[in-house]
Amino acid sequence: VILSEQSSLVDVAFAACTVLARAGETAVLCGGSAAAYYVPDLYQSLDIDFVVEVGAAPHVVDRALATIGYARVAEGHYRHATLPFTLAFPIGPLAIGREYVTAWRTDRRGDLLLHVYTPTDVVRDRFLHYWAWGDRTALDVALAVARARPGEVDLDAFRAWTERERTADHSYDTSRIGRFLTLLSGG
Amino acid sequence: VRRDDLRPAVFGTATRDRVLVRLALSENGLHVRELARQVDTSANAVHRVVIALERAGIVVSRPVGTTRIVLLNRRWYGAVELRALLERLAHAYPEVVEQARTFRERPRRIGKPM
Repeated sequence: VILSEQSSLVDVAFAACTVLARAGETAVLCGGSAAAYYVPDLYQSLDIDFVVEVGAAPHVVDRALATIGYARVAEGHYRHATLPFTLAFPIGPLAIGREYVTAWRTDRRGDLLLHVYTPTDVVRDRFLHYWAWGDRTALDVALAVARARPGEVDLDAFRAWTERERTADHSYDTSRIGRFLTLLSGG
Repeated sequence: VRRDDLRPAVFGTATRDRVLVRLALSENGLHVRELARQVDTSANAVHRVVIALERAGIVVSRPVGTTRIVLLNRRWYGAVELRALLERLAHAYPEVVEQARTFRERPRRIGKPM
């Protein structure tokens, strides 16, 4: 797996996921970088967030990422000498709100692979940022992904999930769900 | 017997317990320095605790001016259960509860008498 100075976020994500898979670790692209994967023209990021399966050994991750030129600069953060993208490894398990994410999509490019949140999970994840903190950028990204992947975003599952979150935490503002769905339908 | 020898230290140290209990009692979060003052610990010690908790996803911080506001991460998968536990744990740290009780988070008009 070789990266060049022209490598994009997606190139780096495929490379990192592949070398980690070859080292026996499953890493899933999540957060804003997963959104950038689905809507690269609308949303860009310099941070590439992966959650590695719980129990991964840091030295194994270090060695795998060193093969593509990434070195650890802080706990869970890796930088490349020339590329602007930072690899970040938030502590798992993979979860969106109260719910663990146990299934993801795997895309392939030749002999490279990328585990990534499904479009539905990207929408849930970005919407949750807006729901919890009022982050308007996250709302725009959730809308962009839902519009770009209409056949791949399960809105029934999305609605059911918001109900479950609200049942657990009554302080969530329900008007934000309505706002998201109204904007999505062009309102 | 030091003060903290009789504390439960559920989260590893009494300082961690205090920081988390105080954040659970906060609606809008606190600056690190204010948080340190309220839990009667140095800002450096609280800063270290916050970094570790943030790395674990339990707290988040957001920049406000030249400082950062720290608050519990309601997006964390165990946020509801953690808050319930901290509300119970608060009974072991009455001085933190007292600090929170007397600390005003809401805006206050400039010049309004205390």
